[in-house]
Amino acid sequence: MTLLLALFRQTLLLAAIALAVFLLIRIAPGDVVDAMALEGSLDEEAIAELRADLGLDADWATQFRIWASRALGGDFGTSLRFDRPAAELIGAALPTTLLLAALALGTGLALGIALAAAAALWPRSIWPAVVEGLNLWSIALPTFCVGLGAILLFSVWLGWLPVIGQWLSPVLILGLDIAGQVVKPLHEDLREGATAAHIRTARAKGLSPARVVLRHLLPNAMTTVVALGGLILAGLVGGALTMEVLFGLPGLGTLAFQAISGRDYPVIQAVVLVFAAGVVVVNFLTDQTQRLLDPRLR
Amino acid sequence: MAGWPSRRWPRADSVSAATLPTARGAPPFALLLGLVILGLALLLAVLGPGLLPYDPLSQEIALRNTPPDAQHWLGRDHLGRDILARLAAGTRISLLAALGATATALLLGAGLGLVAESLGRWPSFVVFGAFDMVRALPSILLAVTLMVALGVGMLPLVLALGIAYAPHMAAVARAAWRREQAAGYVAAARVMGAPPLATLARHIAPNIAGALVTQAAIIMPRAITTESVLSFFGLGLSPETPSWGRMISGATRFAEAAPHAVAAPVVALCLVTLGFALVGDWLRLRLDPLRR
Repeated sequence: MTLLLALFRQTLLLAAIALAVFLLIRIAPGDVVDAMALEGSLDEEAIAELRADLGLDADWATQFRIWASRALGGDFGTSLRFDRPAAELIGAALPTTLLLAALALGTGLALGIALAAAAALWPRSIWPAVVEGLNLWSIALPTFCVGLGAILLFSVWLGWLPVIGQWLSPVLILGLDIAGQVVKPLHEDLREGATAAHIRTARAKGLSPARVVLRHLLPNAMTTVVALGGLILAGLVGGALTMEVLFGLPGLGTLAFQAISGRDYPVIQAVVLVFAAGVVVVNFLTDQTQRLLDPRLR
Repeated sequence: MAGWPSRRWPRADSVSAATLPTARGAPPFALLLGLVILGLALLLAVLGPGLLPYDPLSQEIALRNTPPDAQHWLGRDHLGRDILARLAAGTRISLLAALGATATALLLGAGLGLVAESLGRWPSFVVFGAFDMVRALPSILLAVTLMVALGVGMLPLVLALGIAYAPHMAAVARAAWRREQAAGYVAAARVMGAPPLATLARHIAPNIAGALVTQAAIIMPRAITTESVLSFFGLGLSPETPSWGRMISGATRFAEAAPHAVAAPVVALCLVTLGFALVGDWLRLRLDPLRR
């Protein structure tokens, strides 16, 4: 029942976002026809004809009704720039973004969990300081800055990496950012958990510290990682957008970038909606996974 | 929220002298470093444009992309403009935009959220329903959408960033407000028949100001970064405005010929976000009652 209710709320939320995005973009001064008229020579008649052709002369309510009913069927309209269906453009760009996000998430979680475990295992070594340092890194240095810095250092000055079309820098930069966000709460959780009775028992019966951390502490701390899902996702969306544009990867971020500069409304709407849907779905899954993992929340 | 302490409540033995800033004694090195960085940025923003001999807008195309020398300490950009003069003007603009955005977020998020929460269940439901909707979109995406709608310029930028960060402020304000509801002084005010809004303004607001200031210190650097990203996307401020974001987006196309023109605003941006992070971290430990 709660599941259905949560599902209903998320659907409502998504519909509200769709309406808001639609209205917001219609408020924008200048439409695609204006943008085209600036570039080429269109007379008044051609402009009016083009508007009628693209359905831009109808009132907002009608435009929204038509757009929403089509969007439900998977048709997000035709890109006004490229003359291709927006859904097709998104379909072509989506794998790049998903792959980038997945690689960054994998790198970040592996690094964050390993570091937090190392810091918990050897509290008097250098690892706790590394945890603090990495956390400060991700708070203090936005991925946008690090990306530009990496381009300057590794591509322009040292010439080790090409600027455009390489995956190493964006994945590492986003991964480090995620690791920095995860590692500190996780480390705190491990330290706090270390005083629990079942850990004392595990130690008392002679388990090695490594086994205690890996088998008894880390699984319990996984709820913390899942709870951070929303935060990680928000950083990942913003990060993927900028990284794609910076490093010339043909994903949703680059598509959004082109659509914004061309005032290509159907594509902007579709990209924002795809991102919003992704965020809503992941938030929903995060909540449900948390309930599954943590009996206290049920 | 009220009632049981959260699971994150620090245990007595985990709060050592090293992790807890004390009122007396020397301030920690990290805080000093952060303050020095922010102080220098402020100095550059306030005095720089008046003291520097070059105009941030005057171009000398013949001397474009020249590296730093004795006269032009940071060199010239792709239109032959003095980078130091642009950096000073940009610091002023970027800090002002971020300050305006944070103030808007504070007013809109904390103000509206707290008033709605004080007035009862339904106003709170409506306002926080709207905030939840806004929060479902990552702030960068929301800012992009808002900027597309509002157009380019300082006022649209401040509005877009303020709206994008208002829900974060509202969430912090609501959590702090609910925590205070459990306190004796709020109950005392209610028993004496004080109206909810008067209680909010007279009694609760001063007590949750610390949490809000901390959140403001977190939002400020994010607003600065988002401004840069927006400008990089061709939104944000108008192309001629010498903000950090516009400097970066203009110079990246000539990164091969003039890396110094990209490096200057990027380093400034990194340093200022670092300064805010250091100061913000100290504020969080010092002012957030949950951490005390």
